Amino acid sequence: MKIAQKLLNSVRPHFKEGGRFEKLHPAFDALETFLFVPGHTTSQGVHVRDAIDLKRTMFTVIVALVPTLLFGMWNVGYQHHLAYGMEASLVDNFLFGFWKVLPIIIVSYAVGLGVEFIFAIVRNHQVSEGYLVTGLLIPLTMPVTIPLWMVALGAIFCTVLGKEIFGGTGMNFMNPALLARAFMFFAFPAYMSGDIWTDLSPEAGHALVDAYSGATNLVTFDANFTKLPSPADMFWGFEQGSIGETSAFACLIGALILIATGIGSWQIIVSCVVGVLVMGLFLNVVAPADVPTHAMHTPAYYHLLMGGFAFGAVYMATDPVSAAQTETGKWIYGLLIGMFTVILRVFNPAYPEGVMLSILLMNVFAPLIDHIVVEQHIKNRKKRA
Amino acid sequence: MQHLINILIKTIFVENVIFAFFLGMCSFLAVSKKIKTAFGLGLAVIFVMVLTTPLNYLILRYLLFEGALGWIHPSLASVDLTFLSFILFISTIAGAVQLVEMVVEKFLPALYTSLGIFLPLITVNCSILGASLFMQEREYNFAETTAFSLGAGIGFFLAIVLLAAIRERLRYSNIPEPLQGLGIAMIVTALMGLAFLSFSGIQL
Repeated sequence: MKIAQKLLNSVRPHFKEGGRFEKLHPAFDALETFLFVPGHTTSQGVHVRDAIDLKRTMFTVIVALVPTLLFGMWNVGYQHHLAYGMEASLVDNFLFGFWKVLPIIIVSYAVGLGVEFIFAIVRNHQVSEGYLVTGLLIPLTMPVTIPLWMVALGAIFCTVLGKEIFGGTGMNFMNPALLARAFMFFAFPAYMSGDIWTDLSPEAGHALVDAYSGATNLVTFDANFTKLPSPADMFWGFEQGSIGETSAFACLIGALILIATGIGSWQIIVSCVVGVLVMGLFLNVVAPADVPTHAMHTPAYYHLLMGGFAFGAVYMATDPVSAAQTETGKWIYGLLIGMFTVILRVFNPAYPEGVMLSILLMNVFAPLIDHIVVEQHIKNRKKRA
Repeated sequence: MQHLINILIKTIFVENVIFAFFLGMCSFLAVSKKIKTAFGLGLAVIFVMVLTTPLNYLILRYLLFEGALGWIHPSLASVDLTFLSFILFISTIAGAVQLVEMVVEKFLPALYTSLGIFLPLITVNCSILGASLFMQEREYNFAETTAFSLGAGIGFFLAIVLLAAIRERLRYSNIPEPLQGLGIAMIVTALMGLAFLSFSGIQL
């Protein structure tokens, strides 16, 4: 570390104003603050209410993402070996997934940060740390079979249209990682739905087992929800799905980290869960009794466990930039996300997975929710005065 | 009754005039800088929409359709005046907008000034003529027409208020100079449209 410090100090003059590489200062600054805690705290942007630096905030989120990432890697290998009916050890499973997932993460970071560097240099602002999280969220929301060029395209779309044209981290109104996923979902449906959730690269001497079914669990869901994996499997994550979304348990660990450090809003996470339960129970009550397989009969707690709900509620909905900012607003925002997720899953046959779109939609509604809450507050205070 | 509620919800969310048909974009983009004015314009559009579309339905049904004039004299039973529908629709809308303008000027002078030219321009707001034409094309009956026009109005209202709220928040953003104003509003509209795609495919 000492050596790195010396090296940085020796080249610093070149990047200062008037130096040879003045234009590249944002790049230098990003590297320096990444390696060493800077002596100043950030004074503007989303985290203005807290004394810690944005980089540490983002790093905590990364730590919270580690459980889902590790589990996701293992699950990629597990599902692969399961599809071929092979026995594989824990380490085998993990290593298989590791080598599959690593390139996706590298491409996402390299392309996204590259775009960010270009914008930082041209627009002469600092490279913001927001992409550290976004760059990991994108791979985690992708199926493992995703072509790398699509990861790159998604990363570019999310950085440019999701963030940089609004001025960078903290100034956008939609969650960039979700935007990337929605963009890819609508632009390349063939790569984002159907028989893509398990890596099926051939194994010498093994054939696919008969029981293998490639469709995502939620697709078979509206026909007959008893085909779903058992609740325990869905909770621990032994199911197919995007790399990071399968395990509700891993997301729960992440949620604890986020809540304990005060970085994720517990109000949003709790209200999302409440929203799902309320809507799920309501649909259970009004479901047609003569059609026992109707999707409305799905037990409410199933909605918490399956698909990407846990992942979305913990890591996506709590994004401090795109979520509602007021306390009451956060409750309304979370409740609506939860309820709308269930509505989309049950009533929209086109999108069996409703979490992504309901969070995006509530990102659109969040500013209005905040506005109404603030106006109401002003009115109440006036009445009291 | 449930059928009418379905039409209402469908036109508000699934077939939103802005995000699904891109009608009425001019005032949508121009009057969405502040929530207050957007709110006022949205209400005016709802009012004009609910007034004119059923009225146009009656005109179409009892004056313009082939044989509609039969009640005056049997010899008129074969007259088909449907080709006049465009011009009559627009006249009804212009009349209704005049009415709204007078009411707003009299009772809400502040809103009147802030809406400026865009209040009379509701006359040529494509979403309002669009609603009348959809009504004709989809052959709605009177009750359906009323539900549809209310839904289309609320859909426009919702869209413009949402955009205004987002633009108010974006005032603090560091948007590149060439994109400021209309440019970013269009991109935001596109991103909102992406989020509203979540409704497409819902069967009602």
